[in-house]
Amino acid sequence: MDARLRRVNKEIADCKNDKTSNIQIDLVDESPFHLKGSFPGPEGTPYEGGRFEVDIVIPESYPFQPVKMKFITKVYHPNISSASGAICLDILKDAWSPVLTLKSTLISLQSLLCSPEPNDPQDAEVAKHYTTSKASFEETARYWTQVYAGGPGQRKGKNPSKGSVHDDIAIAGLERVHVERFENLGFDRNKVIDVLRRLNYRGSNVAQITDDRVVEELLK
Amino acid sequence: MSSDYEFSDDDNEFFDDEDMFDATQDDGSSDEMDMDADGDDFKITPKNKRKSYEIEYHSLSQSEVEKQMREEVNYICNILGVEPSTASLLLRSMSWNRERLIEKYMDNPSTVLTAAGITLPEPPSSPLQNPIRTHAASGSSSSSTVRRTTRSASKLLGLGSSSKSSPTTRTSPIVQHTTPKYTKFTTKPDEPFVCPICFDDAPNLVTLSLDCGQTFCINCWNMYIVSKIRDEGEIAIRCMAEGCQLIAPDPFIHDVLFPTPPADASAMSVNPQDNAQAWSRFQELLARHFVGSKKDLKYCPYPGCTNTVSCPAGASKFSLTTVVPTVFCGARGIPGQENSDSSLGLGGREHKFCFGCAVEDDHRPVVCSVAKMWLRKCRDDSETANWIKSNTKECSNCQSTIEKNGGCNHMTCKKCKHEFCWVCMGPWSEHGTAWYTCNRYDEKAGVEARDAQSRSRASLERYLHYYNRWANHEQSAKLSRDLYAKTEKKMEDMQITSSLTWIEVQFMKKAVEEVEKCRMTLKWTYAMAYYLARGNEKDLFEDNQRDLEKAVEDLSELLESPIEAEVIPSLRQKVTDKAVYVQKRNEIVLEDTANGFLEGRWRWNVTVEGFDEPDKSELVL
Repeated sequence: MDARLRRVNKEIADCKNDKTSNIQIDLVDESPFHLKGSFPGPEGTPYEGGRFEVDIVIPESYPFQPVKMKFITKVYHPNISSASGAICLDILKDAWSPVLTLKSTLISLQSLLCSPEPNDPQDAEVAKHYTTSKASFEETARYWTQVYAGGPGQRKGKNPSKGSVHDDIAIAGLERVHVERFENLGFDRNKVIDVLRRLNYRGSNVAQITDDRVVEELLK
Repeated sequence: MSSDYEFSDDDNEFFDDEDMFDATQDDGSSDEMDMDADGDDFKITPKNKRKSYEIEYHSLSQSEVEKQMREEVNYICNILGVEPSTASLLLRSMSWNRERLIEKYMDNPSTVLTAAGITLPEPPSSPLQNPIRTHAASGSSSSSTVRRTTRSASKLLGLGSSSKSSPTTRTSPIVQHTTPKYTKFTTKPDEPFVCPICFDDAPNLVTLSLDCGQTFCINCWNMYIVSKIRDEGEIAIRCMAEGCQLIAPDPFIHDVLFPTPPADASAMSVNPQDNAQAWSRFQELLARHFVGSKKDLKYCPYPGCTNTVSCPAGASKFSLTTVVPTVFCGARGIPGQENSDSSLGLGGREHKFCFGCAVEDDHRPVVCSVAKMWLRKCRDDSETANWIKSNTKECSNCQSTIEKNGGCNHMTCKKCKHEFCWVCMGPWSEHGTAWYTCNRYDEKAGVEARDAQSRSRASLERYLHYYNRWANHEQSAKLSRDLYAKTEKKMEDMQITSSLTWIEVQFMKKAVEEVEKCRMTLKWTYAMAYYLARGNEKDLFEDNQRDLEKAVEDLSELLESPIEAEVIPSLRQKVTDKAVYVQKRNEIVLEDTANGFLEGRWRWNVTVEGFDEPDKSELVL
């Protein structure tokens, strides 16, 4: 039997039998080489309570070449692209070893959520947010967990009505007062959110960015 | 030619030895005169004195490079008392700098061995009684047992590996890597072995491990090594276990790729052909790594070529200011493609490249740094900026670039509506009553401003003069090649239809080759002239350039004259004569320029790396 197939089948079966780790691997279609993994957000982090889904593609030369993984669930994290879900983690690149398994790799992703590496970022804007104000970053990350990963919160993820307006600001990790101040100058709300996010208008940075600078960016 | 030769040989059988020697020599040289009335002779006759524009070098095949590697490995073996595969790994980890290796190794062998991936890091307490032997004995036994307890796979073979590997290493550390100690059959283990990678648990599974004792089945090792070599081009192949820093030595890799006894073909996922390919690729990668680490060696950059050129004279940065190290690796064409030496097409070209830079394969007569500077100038499109500089100004308020489109100096910026004076750039409001005449600068400043503007325009024109000629020669060389492709066909047809012999229709090829070569020289003389400081030396240089250019254009024109059977003999005569003359002129340019570099005769109008700073008067711009 094909060694790759045997190994992947065994890995999937092992994961099914292991109830303690709470890590799940499912088939996406008939092929065992395209999978979907999921794991709970680690406790004591802004990701707690969420469940994170990962797209897994097993390459031809697995396990001698690393497995390809990216987040399906949107995650607010310095080492995970907030747009594409791409992951910056050494074991998925040159530090890969054939003894690593899907399960152990998913556990590594779980622990990546516990310990961000803002100095080696995948998403530079999120990393900047993290270094500027950790509290504000965590708030945003928690909010993303609520909205995208089904995490707990006063408000349910998909709340229509008035909530959607508030959502955009919280998702960008910005202060409502800041956005409204520039919105009152007559700029479009989405544009204001976009510019403030790009300028990292958060925490102590707010004092350093003059209103003129923001308006200049808004006028571009 | 061959028939000529045979005839004279037969003839000479009647003479004594000495005569025969003379006669054949004569024969040979006259042959060359007829056949190769061109510049190729400097390759054919190595006995000739090297010309000043040529550099001393020799080319090496991959096996010759491998021989050099083996010599270095043996040297290290003798000095450090390690066996070859260890010496090889040590040298690779130090980029083949053997002096540094010896120094570091004498200083602290265990650190060097660990860094090279030969031994596991030692526990800090282990005593160093015999430093040279530690890596073989204590390295593999003590630290691997520590690790073993933490590895899931290790419990399965704890007994087998320690009882089997430690005695061999302890008794004879020298043969450690040459004996097939890696290949271990799981002989009647208490529990069946399950490979932690493929989960195979067949009872006859062949398993191997490095000194760390972390064991995997041979199929996994095989696929891992092939994938590392083939897909990643890796020469430092680490142990498959996570975080293990040991590197598989060459004999181990060989054992895995060519297992003894031969593996059952059906059980192997990688076929023997792939293994053989991976092994030869591995050898090539090793040679490349060696060549890449040595300053005086360079790999031939042509696709598929595995030759190497050794050129100590072109290896130092300083030497590149005095010579242009154009070298040939000795091969022609692209391996695997059928082509004859005589073909003019790209397929049959010699592998010529510059040892000093990757700018262009042959940029004689100009040295690397100047050639690089020139190409950067052409590529950067810095002259667009120059145009903008000479035709536009920036609005002093919003910094938009403005082109003046009318005669009036009262400018109003279209974007920010700022009003200013084009002459002094100050706000218009400050001009007060002096409307339309700017008197804020005195006359001298006004003259200077105009001068600066016209200098900028002149420099643009100067650049274009050189650039157009530079580009034109390249284009012409290409066109003459295309033209020849058409002519060649016609000539060969003619050979069939008319009484002309094969040799009589061959003169064109040599002439076209010569034209092409000279156009390349000419092309680069324009790059050189652009940077040469004004003076007698430059005048002489440009005289030589002009003579060569004229000769090349004449020959070029001859090559384009209509080909008719009746005029061929006279055309042939003219073309051959002209080609010889062109060749001479080319030699003069190359020789004189090269001598100039050796004598330090050339002065530049800009700062060139490695040369003296130009005088203020020589600077342009």
